[in-house]
Amino acid sequence: MSEKSTPLLAVLQLLRKYNLKSTEDILRKEASLGDVECESLDLPEVELASILTAHHTESDPFTYELAYDGLKKFIENSLDLYKYELSTLLYPVFVHMYLLLILYDHVEHAVSFLEKFGIEQEDYYQEDLKKLSIVKHKDQIKGNELAEIYSTNKFTVQLSRDASSQLKRYLHEQKNSSVIINIINNHIQIEVHDGPGRTQAQVRATAGGVLGEPMKSENRTKVYYGLLKEPDIQVLPAPVEDEEEVEETPDKPKKKKAKKDNLFMKKPKSDPNAPPNDRIPLPDLKEIDKVEKGKALREASKRVQLGPDSLPSICFYTLLNSGHTAISCDICDDSTLLAVGFNNSNIKVWTLTPIKLRGMKSAEKLQDIDREAGDVLVRMMEEKDRDTCRNLFGHSGPVYKVAFDPFKTMLLSCSEDTTVRLWSLQCWTCLVVYRGHVWPVWDVRWSPHGHYFASSGHDRTARLWATDHHLPLRIFIGHYSDVDCIQFHPNSNYIATGSSDRTVRLWDCLTGSQVRIMTGHKSTIFTLAFSVCGRWIASGGSGGDMMVWDLSTGGPAASLPPAHTAPIHALAFSRDGTVLSSGSLDCTIKLWDFTAITDESPIEETLNNLIPKEDKYLLQSFATKSSPVKGLHFTRRNLLLAVGTYESSA
Amino acid sequence: MGDSELAYGSSLTLDSMKVIAESVGIATLGDDAAKELADDVTYRLKVIVQDAMKFMHHSKRQKLSITDIDHALKIKNNECQYGFIQPDSLPFRFASGGGRELHFIEEKEIDLSEILSAPPPKVPLDVSVRAHWLSVDGVQPTVPENPPPLSKEAQKLESVDPISKLSKPSNKDSAGKPICGKAARLKASESVHVKQLATHELSVEQQLYYKEITEACVGSDETRRAEALQSLACDPGLHEMLPRMCTFISEGVKVNVVQNNLALLIYLMRMVKALLDNQSLYLEKYLHELIPSVSTCIVSRQLCLRPEMDNHWALRDFAARLMAQICKTFNTSTNNLQTRVTRLFAKALQCPSQTNNETGPSMASMKESEKTPLASLYGAVQGLAELGPEVVKVFILPRVRWLGERVEGALSGIGGADRLAAGNLKHQLLKVLAPVVRQLRQPPDQPEDYKRDFGYLGPSLQQAVSKIRSSPSCSTAGGAVAVVTCTPPLLPTAPSPSPSNISHTTKTETVTTRNLVIASSTPQSPAPSTPPPQKFVIVASQQKPTQIQSSSGTGHIVVHSSQPTIVRSQNVQAPVSVVAKPVFARGGGGPQPPPELDDLSHLA
Repeated sequence: MSEKSTPLLAVLQLLRKYNLKSTEDILRKEASLGDVECESLDLPEVELASILTAHHTESDPFTYELAYDGLKKFIENSLDLYKYELSTLLYPVFVHMYLLLILYDHVEHAVSFLEKFGIEQEDYYQEDLKKLSIVKHKDQIKGNELAEIYSTNKFTVQLSRDASSQLKRYLHEQKNSSVIINIINNHIQIEVHDGPGRTQAQVRATAGGVLGEPMKSENRTKVYYGLLKEPDIQVLPAPVEDEEEVEETPDKPKKKKAKKDNLFMKKPKSDPNAPPNDRIPLPDLKEIDKVEKGKALREASKRVQLGPDSLPSICFYTLLNSGHTAISCDICDDSTLLAVGFNNSNIKVWTLTPIKLRGMKSAEKLQDIDREAGDVLVRMMEEKDRDTCRNLFGHSGPVYKVAFDPFKTMLLSCSEDTTVRLWSLQCWTCLVVYRGHVWPVWDVRWSPHGHYFASSGHDRTARLWATDHHLPLRIFIGHYSDVDCIQFHPNSNYIATGSSDRTVRLWDCLTGSQVRIMTGHKSTIFTLAFSVCGRWIASGGSGGDMMVWDLSTGGPAASLPPAHTAPIHALAFSRDGTVLSSGSLDCTIKLWDFTAITDESPIEETLNNLIPKEDKYLLQSFATKSSPVKGLHFTRRNLLLAVGTYESSA
Repeated sequence: MGDSELAYGSSLTLDSMKVIAESVGIATLGDDAAKELADDVTYRLKVIVQDAMKFMHHSKRQKLSITDIDHALKIKNNECQYGFIQPDSLPFRFASGGGRELHFIEEKEIDLSEILSAPPPKVPLDVSVRAHWLSVDGVQPTVPENPPPLSKEAQKLESVDPISKLSKPSNKDSAGKPICGKAARLKASESVHVKQLATHELSVEQQLYYKEITEACVGSDETRRAEALQSLACDPGLHEMLPRMCTFISEGVKVNVVQNNLALLIYLMRMVKALLDNQSLYLEKYLHELIPSVSTCIVSRQLCLRPEMDNHWALRDFAARLMAQICKTFNTSTNNLQTRVTRLFAKALQCPSQTNNETGPSMASMKESEKTPLASLYGAVQGLAELGPEVVKVFILPRVRWLGERVEGALSGIGGADRLAAGNLKHQLLKVLAPVVRQLRQPPDQPEDYKRDFGYLGPSLQQAVSKIRSSPSCSTAGGAVAVVTCTPPLLPTAPSPSPSNISHTTKTETVTTRNLVIASSTPQSPAPSTPPPQKFVIVASQQKPTQIQSSSGTGHIVVHSSQPTIVRSQNVQAPVSVVAKPVFARGGGGPQPPPELDDLSHLA
C-alpha cells in the first residue's frame, strides 16, 4: 500500500459514513483502489479526524521534529510558574507524533525521533516508551495494547488559566505548529483550572498515569469512607465475655474489659462519613460467626499499642524448598491458618497453631448426629487429628491469590486458568467455580463482612460477586490495562483497584460507578491496603514506590520515599492503624509511621516541602536472609506475621 | 537510559532470518522477505515478552521463566511451546564459521534407554513452613535465620567514611542493637544541631559474650577455646564488639611480650586468625591495633622465657602468615599496607639494633649484642618470605652475605640459644631463598659461584637449589619442609618417616636430615573450621628423637620444656639445632603435645 493511500482511505471512509455513494464510486475509480482495501476500512474515529486534518503535513516528516523542538524550547523558556505544568504536555505530544510518523510510514524518522527525544521524557515514562518503541508499522498500532490506549483515548493535562493562554498564544504565533494543534485537538484534553500554576513537586505528585491526570470532575462524588456501625457485636461480646470470664478468672478483669469494649464501640457511632448500614445488603451474622467476632474483640482488647516507640515483633514464616513455586499466600483473620497458592496449580493450607486440620465426617456418619445437640458443630468434625497441612487441587494454572473468608470456613483462590474457586475448609473440597473472567485472574478478595467478594484480572475489569450467584453482580470497567490488585473497603461499600495503567480507582459497589481515580504512581500497582479507619488507602508498586491516598479528596496524602528496590507485594496496617508495614521482593520488611504520614498531610497539601519530612516516616527496616516477602498480616494482638520463600542463591 | 539505542532499537537481523529459513528448508530467502519477516517476528516476540513480564510479576518473581512465556502465548491464543521446561537457565552457545556468527542453544542428544534404565529421580523435598523471629519488639535478633546485622560493605563504608554513621542518625537498618523508641526519635530530631558521638555501647548479652569469649580464648580449656574461636570465626554480628576485641588482643600482646608468655601470645594470634577468617567482619578500622601486635609476634627479640628451648619459631611463622593474610586482604592503593609492612621487615634486616640490654639471660653473653638479634632476623625473613617471591628477591637476596656472616658468627659462638637461632635462621633462609635463586640463576650451579655471590650461605644454597631442580615437585616453594596434615600419634617423640634433607654443614657437605615429627592435636578438641587444614609439623633433629618430660606445673598454664638435646656433629663446628618442645600441661593431664611450628590450634 502506498503512502498516499492512508488519507485516501480515510476520505473514503468518511464518504461511506455519510452515505455518499456516487462520490465514493468516482473516488474509487479515480484512485483505482481495489475492493479489498475498501472493505477493510475501520480506522478509529479519532484517527480518522487526525488524518483528515493533518494530511497536508504528512509529506514532511521533518515538521514533527521541528515542531516538537519548538514546543520544548517554548516550555523551557517560559516562566517557572507555568513551566512545570506545561511540561506535562510534552509527553503526550511526543507519543502522538511518534504514532503519526508511524501511521504515515515514516518509520526511519519515527525511530530517530524516538531516539532523539525519548531519553528526555520523564523516567517513569521510559518503560512505556520501550513498549511503544516496538511498534514500527502502522498495522501494528492496531492491536498493540499501549498504542491503542493512546490513539483511542485522550490524554488529560491540567493547566492553569494563565499557562493555557500562554500556550495558545504560542501556538498561534508559530507557523509550523499545526501538527501540535492537531494533536492537542484530537488527543489531548486540556483541563483549565483557576489558581496559580503548580510547582514541580505538585506536578510530579500526580503525574505518572498512562493517560495523565484525572479530570477534577471525576473525583467530586462523595465517598462514605467511614466505618459501619456494628450493632451485632456491640450486643454480643458481653455474654460471650461473661461465659469465658467465669471460666477463667474472677470478677476483677471483667469490669475493665467491659469498659474497654465500650470504648471500642463509641467511635463508629459518631462517624458522619459512614454510609447507612443498609446501603449494601449485608448478610446476617450466623451464630458461629458471632462467636468468632466475640473472640476477635476479646483478642483485640489484649493488643499491643504500636507506635514509633513500640515497634511490633515480627514472626517470619519461611517456606522452605519452595523455590519460585509459591506465589501467593494469605493468613486468616485470627492467624491460625496459612494458605499458599503455588505455581503448579496446587493450594496448601497449613495450621499455624498446634490444633491440627480436621475434615468433616462422611455423609452417612453425619446423618447419625443429633442436630439439636449443642455441640453439633464439634460433632460434625472427624475425631482424629489430621495433618498440619492439607492440599486443595482443582486449578489448572498458577494460583495468583488465595484468600480466607472472615470466618475462616471458606477459601477463595484465583488462577491463570481464568477461574475463581471457592473452597470449603470443612470438607476440604471445591464448592463453586466462578467463571466470568476471560483471561487470567490476578486478584481476589473477600468483603470484610463475608458473602461478597471481588476479583480483577487481565481483561481490564474488576468484578463484584456474591458467593450464591454464579454470575458477577457488578462489572467495573474503566481501567486501560490489567487490573493487578483489588481491595474491599472496610465498610464493604467500595472497592479499590490498582492497575498497570498506574492509576488507583475506587468503585461504588451500589451503583457500580467509579467514584475516585487517583494518579501519581510511577509504576504498576501490585498491592493495596485500606487504613483501619477507612479514610486512607496505601498502594505499593513494581518500582518499590509506595503512596498513601486520601479518599475524601482523591489526592495523594503522601508519597513515601522509594525505600524498596524491588516490587512491593505486601502491605498491611497494624490493627490500631498506627503502623504500616510493607514487604518487597528485595527481601526487606519496612515499618512506616502511619500516624505521622496522616497527621502531616494537611500541612503538606499547602506547603510542598515533602522531602525533609519523608525520612521521618520510615521507622525501621528488617532484612531477611534471601527470602522475598510475599505476604504480611497483623494478628489481632498486633504481632506482625510475614511469609516469604527462601531462595537459595544457586 | 544511557543505552537507549539498544533499548529502543534492538531487532532480529536479516541473517538470523535466513539461517532460520535454511533450517526449515527454504534455501533462498530474498532480502525483502527476510526484512519483512525480521520486523514482524521482532514485533511479535517483543509483545510476547512484554506480556510474559506480567505473568512474571504476578508470580512474584524477578526473573522471567519459560512458563511465563507459555502463559503469554496462551493469552494470545497461541499454542504453548511444549517440552521446553527447563529449571535452570539455558546458556547461549556461540559458534562462528563460514563468515557467519551464530548464537544457539545446545541441544544434547539423549539416549532414551539410558533414561529408562536409570533409577527414578529423587522426589523433591516437600514444601515446609518454618517460623523464626525476624524482630522482637523492633530488634532483630542475631539468629542464623536472619542476615548479619551489618553487612561487610556497610562496615567498609563506615571505616572509609566514619561520618556516614553520624550522618544517618537514626540507623534504620536494624543493626544489632536497637535504636528504637525515644532514643531514635531524639537522635533524629537533634542530629541537626548537635554533633553526635558514635556510641559503642554493648548490650548486657554482648558484654557477657565478650567476657566468655575472651576468657575461653586465653583460658586453659582447649575445648572451650576451640568453640570460642569457632564462634569468632563464624558468627555474624560481632562487629559491635570488634573495637574491644582488638584492644584486648593488642593489650594482651603488649603485656605478654614483656612477660615472655609464649602460650598466651599464641592464643592471641589465634584470635586474630579467627577474626580475619570471619566473613562478616571488616577489620580495616582496627588494623592499627592488630598490625603492631602481629608484627611484634614476628620480630620481637624475645617471645618466651627460654629462647634456647621454647618453640617461639612457630609463633613467628604463624604470625608472619597472618601478616601476609592481612596484607593480601586489606592492601589498597591508599593505605599502602603491604609497602609499609615490607619496609618494616626490611628495616629489621638492615640496621643493627639500637641497644641490647641484657634482658635475655643468654643474650648477655653474646658478642653480637649490638646487632639485631637473630630471632628478630628470623622473624623478618619469615615475614618477608610470606609476602611472596618478589619481595624475597628484592629485600632478602641482597642481604644474604651479611645474614650469612651473622649466622656463621652465631654458629661458631658458644651460646646455645644463639646457635639454635642461627641454625633456624639459616634453615629458613635456605628454604626461602632456594626457589627464588632457582628462578634467577641458570642451571650449572657451581658451589664456587654461589660462595662468591652469597658468601657463607652460598654452598648450602647451591645444594638446596640443585636439590629443588632435581626434585620433580619443585614447583612448591617450601620444598625444604614437608608439611604433613595431621594424622597424629599422641606423643610427638616418634620421628615421622618424612624427612627432608637440608645440608647443615658447609665444607663437608654432609647432609643432615631433619625429621618432621607429627604432633597430635588434642584428641577431644574439635578442630576449628578455619579454611586451610591444620598443619602439625615439628622440626626435630634426626639423630636422637628428643624426649618429652613433663613436670608438674605451677599455674594453670605452665610452660615446660623438654631437655634440649644438642647434638654436635663431629666434624663441624655447627651444631645441629634441636628445637625444644614446650609442653603445656593441663591440670592432671599427661604430657600434652606442644605447640609446634605450624600448629597453633591444639594448644591447651
